[in-house]
Amino acid sequence: MSDEVGTPEAEAEPETIDESPSLYERWQAIQGDEKTVAAITILGVALAPFLLVTLPEMLGFPRSYSWYHSLVTLTLIWGIFALGYDLILGFTGLLSFGHAMFWGVAAYSAGIFSANVTGSPIAMVLVGTLMAVLLAWLIGWISLRRGGIYFAILTLAFGQMIYYIFLSPLGNITGGENGFNGVEVGKLLGMVELGGAVPFVPPMFVDSWMYVFVGAAMVAAVVVGYRILNSPYGIVLRAIRENEQRAEFVGLDVWRYKLMSFILSGAFAGVAGSLYVIQRSYVPIENTLYWTVSGDIVVITVLGGVGSLFGPVFGAGLYMYVANIVSGIPVIGDFWHMILGIVFIGIIVLMPNGIWGRVDWVRDRVADALGGDN
Amino acid sequence: MSAILETDDLVKEFGGLTATDHVNLTINEGELLSLIGPNGAGKSTLINLITRMLEETEGDIRFEGESITSLTPHEVVQRGIGKSFQTASIFPELSVKENADIAAFAAEHGSFKFNFLTHRDSYPEVEQRTLDTLEAVGLRDQKDIDAGELPYGDKRRLEIGIALASEPSLLLMDEPTAGMSPEETEATVDLIEELQEEMNLTILLVEHDMEIVFSVSDRISVLNRGSIIAEGTPDEVQGDPAVQEAYLGGVEL
Repeated sequence: MSDEVGTPEAEAEPETIDESPSLYERWQAIQGDEKTVAAITILGVALAPFLLVTLPEMLGFPRSYSWYHSLVTLTLIWGIFALGYDLILGFTGLLSFGHAMFWGVAAYSAGIFSANVTGSPIAMVLVGTLMAVLLAWLIGWISLRRGGIYFAILTLAFGQMIYYIFLSPLGNITGGENGFNGVEVGKLLGMVELGGAVPFVPPMFVDSWMYVFVGAAMVAAVVVGYRILNSPYGIVLRAIRENEQRAEFVGLDVWRYKLMSFILSGAFAGVAGSLYVIQRSYVPIENTLYWTVSGDIVVITVLGGVGSLFGPVFGAGLYMYVANIVSGIPVIGDFWHMILGIVFIGIIVLMPNGIWGRVDWVRDRVADALGGDN
Repeated sequence: MSAILETDDLVKEFGGLTATDHVNLTINEGELLSLIGPNGAGKSTLINLITRMLEETEGDIRFEGESITSLTPHEVVQRGIGKSFQTASIFPELSVKENADIAAFAAEHGSFKFNFLTHRDSYPEVEQRTLDTLEAVGLRDQKDIDAGELPYGDKRRLEIGIALASEPSLLLMDEPTAGMSPEETEATVDLIEELQEEMNLTILLVEHDMEIVFSVSDRISVLNRGSIIAEGTPDEVQGDPAVQEAYLGGVEL
């Protein structure tokens, strides 16, 4: 438009191009690839128990402060939940305050199914997820007619409604306030006990088939999440978050995309809820349908970094550590909720984009050092 | 010339106020019709009725011969009525290319598609449309930067680009030069003329700058207090006493 220095025309002039790709460029070329993302996740999942449990033990880190195997498994389960929740909160920009219902209904469905039909873990996950999807469809269909605070309140209200329905009217099926005790987890593919050790793999890395099962679900969740973010939905959902009216006025059915986003996040919650019951062999109502679970998932996702793929998993790790390890430390353990609150405030103030936002920041600095242009 | 859009005794009342009063507006295929009128004349209301942001009280709107009053806003866009907003209504945290991509996806795939597991790269026709659009509004070189970082004039061009990517047959432009510098205004006017000639686009332009209106319009409709008080070529409208009355409030010159 004007002839000033730095116009696009001037920049478009071919400059002397460095022939050999820098380390950064080579990294750029592979990191966007789905197989790379899957490989990084597999590596992370495979090494997590060693890095979190075995290594600190070898280094003489006090037992009472360190991770244990089933907590790593639990972190992955919550990580799957958070990854899906971020689709609706981080990418679509909708604050749902009722995701406990998808996690919880999946947990109860999987548990009751195992007691009455089959205890096959895969079947339990499928049934739990299906129920969560159907519920998300219905609840989303009603709640998404409103946005903002009204949507949050509607989802909260529906969540509480389902909590009370499971607590009392359905008490003789669900076990009411005692939770559901009859969970019967069977063998994986009819062959292996989930609690059993994995042959040829030293327990310092993977302690049980349960971890392999949950780990595989985590990898699948990351790959599916990555696919969604790189599909047209990835930009359509962000467009809705940024400027809903404009999205409508390019001809997109905003409402249906929001509903799909809600259902997809419900599906992740369903997978996670089912896995939770498989791990615990019991459905505690206060850890499944109660509204605090809806709050926990918001906190976890924000801690990890909204709008990122891996962030929420790290948020789950931090939350699980405080809730399960710090809470067991004498004296200060009684104040673990307060400690979590301080951690939460600290992260919000120091890392506004969550843990993953800081990882991104470091990565950009490293990229600069390696000769990247941006 | 055949009519592409017609409003039929269109009425919109807000409480006791009649914002649109039995308006019969006809836009012919390929023309640039400007809608002018003093503040509060009901221009925005009329635009919002056409885009289905507002529900009419009475009357009908026909696009390409069919009534569109039962459609939702995104369905109207899918039929072929695009809108560029008065403000730079873009997606600021997305790149310039992604901004155009969104509109291109909407145009190629319709209002909704069940394709959340398909990579975006597998739609070359979308990619092509995006690049064509950015080329048309002159933003191709800026395609990788965040839209929010563009200077204001470029944001507005991108906004027009988003409207164009959905390949409308009728484009509603709501004050496309509002808040622009003289150079940006000139570039935008050039763009509008180009669009009309090269893409054979029908345009309904709402604009306050009379210089622009009288230079680019094929026809002008003048709105005052909700009803059309004059219609015709720029020359006809300019000399119309009712128009001077509306704009100047009957002051003797």
